[in-house]
Parts: sequence; structure tokens; C-alpha cells
Amino acid sequence: MGVCEPAAGMSPGAEERDDAALLRAAAWGDEGALAALYDRHAGWLTIRMTRRCALPDVVDHAVQDTFLALWREAGAYRGGGDVAAFIWGIGIRRLIDAIRRETGARRRLPWRAAGPDVVVSAEDQVLVGIEHGRLGQALAGLSPELRGAIEATVLDGLTCAEAAVLLGVAEGTVKSRCHRARVALRAALTDQHAGPEKPAHRREAWRTS
Amino acid sequence: MTHAGEDLLRGYAAGTVEVAEVWSVEAHLMACARCRSALSAHVDAGRLARSRSVLMVRAALGDGGRVRRLLCRCGVPDHLLRLLGATPSLRRSWLLSVLGVLSVVAAEAVAVRYGWVHASAAARPAGYRDAEVLAPFLLVAPLLVLAGVAAAFLPMFDPAFRLAVAAPFSGFTLLLVRSVCALAAALVPVVAATFLLPGPRWLPLALLLPSLALCALALAAATVLDPRAAAVTAGVLWAVPVLLLLETAHGPLPIVQAHAQFACLAVLCACAMVLLARRDRFEWGWAR
Amino acid sequence: MTLDGSTAAVRVDGLSRRYGATRALDGVDLRLERGITGLLGPNGAGKTTLLSILATVGEPDAGRVSVFGLDPRQAAQRVEIRRRLGYLPQELGYHRHFTVAAFLDYVAILKEITGRRRRAEEVARVLAAIGLETRARTRIRALSGGMRQRLGIAQALLGKPDLLVLDEPTAGLDPEQRLRFRELLSGLPGDPVIVLSTHQADDIAAICPHVVVLLQGRVQFTGTPADLAATAAGRVWAASERDDRAHLAWRGGDNRWRHVGDDPPAGADLVAPTVEDGYLLLSHAAGSR
Repeated sequence: MGVCEPAAGMSPGAEERDDAALLRAAAWGDEGALAALYDRHAGWLTIRMTRRCALPDVVDHAVQDTFLALWREAGAYRGGGDVAAFIWGIGIRRLIDAIRRETGARRRLPWRAAGPDVVVSAEDQVLVGIEHGRLGQALAGLSPELRGAIEATVLDGLTCAEAAVLLGVAEGTVKSRCHRARVALRAALTDQHAGPEKPAHRREAWRTS
Repeated sequence: MTHAGEDLLRGYAAGTVEVAEVWSVEAHLMACARCRSALSAHVDAGRLARSRSVLMVRAALGDGGRVRRLLCRCGVPDHLLRLLGATPSLRRSWLLSVLGVLSVVAAEAVAVRYGWVHASAAARPAGYRDAEVLAPFLLVAPLLVLAGVAAAFLPMFDPAFRLAVAAPFSGFTLLLVRSVCALAAALVPVVAATFLLPGPRWLPLALLLPSLALCALALAAATVLDPRAAAVTAGVLWAVPVLLLLETAHGPLPIVQAHAQFACLAVLCACAMVLLARRDRFEWGWAR
Repeated sequence: MTLDGSTAAVRVDGLSRRYGATRALDGVDLRLERGITGLLGPNGAGKTTLLSILATVGEPDAGRVSVFGLDPRQAAQRVEIRRRLGYLPQELGYHRHFTVAAFLDYVAILKEITGRRRRAEEVARVLAAIGLETRARTRIRALSGGMRQRLGIAQALLGKPDLLVLDEPTAGLDPEQRLRFRELLSGLPGDPVIVLSTHQADDIAAICPHVVVLLQGRVQFTGTPADLAATAAGRVWAASERDDRAHLAWRGGDNRWRHVGDDPPAGADLVAPTVEDGYLLLSHAAGSR
């Protein structure tokens, strides 16, 4: 991905290296690279995790564990795909670990962070545009539990077991909710009697650069 | 390229945005560094800074290497492993020196036994009696184990000794943990070396009890004497009988035979009881 | 600062200790309150012995000690004292192969902070307090003397102790570091009882609201630094030449000779006494006994 512009409060001198170079440096034990990675990515990671888990302590612990997983893990990042998606893939699993520790769930997670399920770009295209279209309305029409199940399995790419820990329900419940959500979405999208698409009243929220 | 506006990012950070837009924002964030850094401004800087300093400390501490990770997975508490990191007799340099000394002594015994070299005494035919050949090894091996344990409890080997005394962590527990691990670490090369030596097949096992008894004696004596004096006394109490036996009985093997093993067991039990009874001595340190 | 023993946080009564023929402490009575107390005295006066007894590292021959109402001679109470204690011994040694963070982690475990994350938070907190955050991965053998001293102070701060016993904490620190040390001490959470020893009077004057002067194993003075300076009132003179009748004379920064003693030299001006003057007078008086 491209070079990031410095935001307020970032450590100076790190802007030149792109994320992939920083990851490699951190994997080999460069403290400055780890600090630079943290300065760049901890902010959005914290916010995104807070959307899944409201406890700030758990989120902070998960963020720390995420960056620790990047430290001295030579070879974990294969160089393909987005660094942010890679970090999120590790982060969401660390968050699940942290939630599990907090709630005392029994089962153990794999020893190392599993490879991230990077969201395929075709889905990306769709997701970027959904707030305007039918899909957005269909999603908004789902109940919060079904939406949560779909979000965990589709957007975050978790297995049903991991999603179960995140949502705090049993694994079977996750599976059935996903199924019901898909059924509801399919019905909403193929509904012949659906009205015209709502006007893009939120278009001003997005700006062209 | 389209970017997320300031209001949208603020709303996303505050959790007030509708779910469909949330999904769009998150998908866009994965691809856009500029919006990611713009979003970072909506997190409390103090919170991030505190977390950052803890992260850097944890990165500085590391997880201690493969051996420690393995032991952690087996259930050994992490803080005990970190305490052992301060023990000199568990460090690579010490263990390598022990291996070095053992190899020299064992090699000498093997060479003399098979007649590859002649002993410095009057020339004798090849095929020594095993007893005399093993003398140096039998003398040295338990002393090496004792040295390892002594390094684990002697204050002269622990530069931050007074901190350990002034801390609430039980001095006796600390001493036991270190001594037992030093004992185990020293016994492994000793037992391995005895397998290579010529001699009776029970020799490796026969060295276990004397070594344990010797270390227990040193620890028990440390509750009464100055620790250095205790370690030296224990060492002398082993060396003198071995040397005497070499002079009088033409071989130190008796010291590792049956009746001597029972004696060692008795000494071990007696010293263990003394140690337990007087363990309060270790809570004060030796600041005399 | 109250001299009434009934409410004192740390009480020492009739403490005595001898090493062979030397009496290190000879009937010391002391009361310590929350806040900073300075222990002033020359080397060999018994400061280190007294501090090691307060830190439950040494045993007295006679006398009683009470720390927050706990008696260090009882095993369980001794452990409880140690839970609330931070100690910096004189000439603290370090495991040379340890890094700064590893050493602090080790001491944190000794202080029974067992959770890995809590330990890291504590270590990060004290590193920030003494300004060594960038040195977390440096090996101790690569640190300068001043940094090692700061590291020693840092380990004493782990666990937010209620009693801080610091033996010569300012040794090896340059003036700017001393200033930061003073700021650090005055800003500690929980308002602990702090007792520190030094043989430099200007440290006392700057940091400690309460001073105890220990000479030849006995307490010769207890009070504020101003009171200590006042004991020398009327006995400090400045003259342009040296007079050997005075107890002590030295050339000051203003190129005049400063005399401490009872007989004023000819043509000398009376000057305001400092803490050091009071200390020197006491030391001379004790020496001549």
C-alpha cells in the first residue's frame, strides 16, 4: 500500500518506510520499527476493536498482544496483500483470546496467529458501495443479532467457533443465525415488490480527494 | 479516490454510524492509509501512549527463548522461569564449563582404561582395574554438582542478593527453586558422562544419591554456618573419603556401593529435615 | 513532623548493633513520619546499618523496631513489612547480563507481582518516572554509573511501597539528575515514608523537611534543616585570612575564609549559618568527646 502521510503525534523519521518494510524490520527485532508500526496502526485498530468489544481494558490488551505478535515473528508476513488486513487478521484473533481470558472460556486457540482471511477485492468493491444500495437497506433490515453474526463471519473472516466467543453465544447459535441472516438477505434482495433505491442522502459523508 | 469525511470518521469512532456505513468504512480503511491516520486522531492520545510504553517494555522483555517457551507450555509458571534467569549455574557458559571439565576427566579415564595412555605412576599393563581409573571422575563429578548448587544459593553469586532478602518473596522458596534446577541441570551431563565410562553398569545411578546427599548437606550446613563455609565443608567431606579410599583400598568404588548408598540416603534425609526445620534462617539473609 | 511516638509510622527504640569490637549503633531512638527524612552522617556512623535494619535485611543486637505497627522479628509480619517496602542498598550489584527491563522484571517478581501484564505496567511506570524508557533493552553492563544509580532507585519504586529506604541514593548523580530525583521523590503516589541517607548536607537542605544526624552510632540531632543550621548561629565567621584556632576553616567561593568555631578570628564578620555548618559543629563536638 502507499506511503502513509504523517498524522499528529507520530514518531518522526518513520514516514519514509512503508508498512511492509516496517513489518519486516519489526519481525527482525527493530524496536523503532515496532514503535512506528504502533504509531501508525494502533489508533484505527483500537477503534475497530472497540466496535466489537466495549471493554476498553480488553481492547488495550488485545492491541498490545497484536503488536507483540508482530515482534520477532520472522516470516509471518508473506508480503502479499494489505498490511492493514494482515494486522487486522492477527488483531481480531488476539481480541478473541482476550475476551476468552476475560470470560474464562475453556477452549484453547492455536499457538500462532492463523493466516488472515483477507477480504477479497470483489467483496471490497461491493462493501464500499453498499450504503447506497439495496444491500445496505437489506442489512439495515436485519435484527442486530443476525447482523452481528454476518459481520463476524463475513467481514472479519472468523470461524464459527471464534465468532461464538466474540459474540458471547454458543457455536450452534452462530451457525443458525448466519443461516437465517442469509435467508433474510436473499429474500430482501430478490423481493420484487421492493421500492426504488433510497436516494443517496449520505453521499456528502464521503469526499473525493 | 474517495475518502471518508471527518464527520463520518468521528461518527464511526463514536459508534453512532449505521451498520451499512460501518462496513463500508471498515472496508475502505483496509485500503487507505490516509483515512487510517485520520481516524487515529479520534482515540485518546494518553491511552495510546500508556499502552505503547507497556508494549515496548514487553517487547524488551521478550519471551526468553525456545527453552523457556517450551517450559511455559508445559505449565511451569512464567515468574519462576524468570527468577531462574538470575542463577549463574543455569547459564550456557556455566553448563558448557561443566561439560568441558567432565569430558576431560571422562576422556582421561577412558584413555587410561583402554591403555591408550599410560598413567603417570609406574608403568602398568593395559587393562587397569576399573576402580582406580574411575577415581578422578568419582571425585570430580559430585563436586561439580555441588558447585552448581552452591552457585545457586551463595550470596557472592547473586549481586542483587540484598534485594532478594528485602523482598516479600520467600527466601526459602527462592533457594529451593534455584537449587533444585541447578541440581537437575548439573546431574544431566554427569549421568550422561558416566554412561560413556568404563565400569560397572550401575555407575550412573550410583552417583545420584551421593550427589543429592552432598547438596543437601551443603544447604543444611548453610543454616548453621556461613554459606561459603558450608559449601566448602560439604566439598571437603566428599573429597577426603574418596582420596582416603584411593590410598587404602586401591579404588574408590566402595564409596558408591551398597552400604555407602544407604549412608548417603541417611545423610540426605537427615539434612532435608534439618533444612526444613531451620528454613527461617534463609529469610534473614546472611548480613552478619 | 511529630515527635510523639504514639502516632509515628516507623518507631525505633534503643537499637544497638555491633560488629566485633565496633559499635555500629548505640541506643538509637527514632520516629519517622510520612514524608522525607534525611539521615546525615559520615561514613562509618552507622547509617547503613540502621537502614538495613529498617529494611529488615539486618538484625539488631538489642532494641525494638516497629514499622506501621508490625514487628520484623515475627516471620509473618516481616513478610508484610517487606510487601510495603522499597529498598536501595548501598553499592547495589546487578546481574551484568540482565537488560534494564529484565532486571526490573526480576525485582517485580521478588515483590510478588506475578501477572505478566501487571509487571510490564509497573516496569513501564517506574522507567518513565526515572527517565530510562529508551534504555529498556540496554544491558546493565553498558550503562553509566549515574544510570545504574537511577535504575537502583527505579527498582525501589516498584510496587508503590509505603516505606522507601534509600542508602546514598544521590551518589554518582550529576546536579541535574539530583534535581530530577528531588522532583521524583516529592511526587510519589501514596505519600510514603521515605528515609534516605547521605553525607552531603546540601542534599539534605534541598530535599528533606526532616533531618536526623547520626554520629558514632548515636542520634545527635533531630529536627528541620533550619534548626540544624540554627545550632551554628553565632559561630560561623568569614574573614579574609585563615585563622587556625577555629574548628574548621576553608576558602569559600567568594574567596574569603569561612571559619566555624567559638572564637571569632580578628576582623571576621558573622555570617548566616548553613546546614553544613551546623553539621560540622556537631561532628566536631562528637569527635572531641
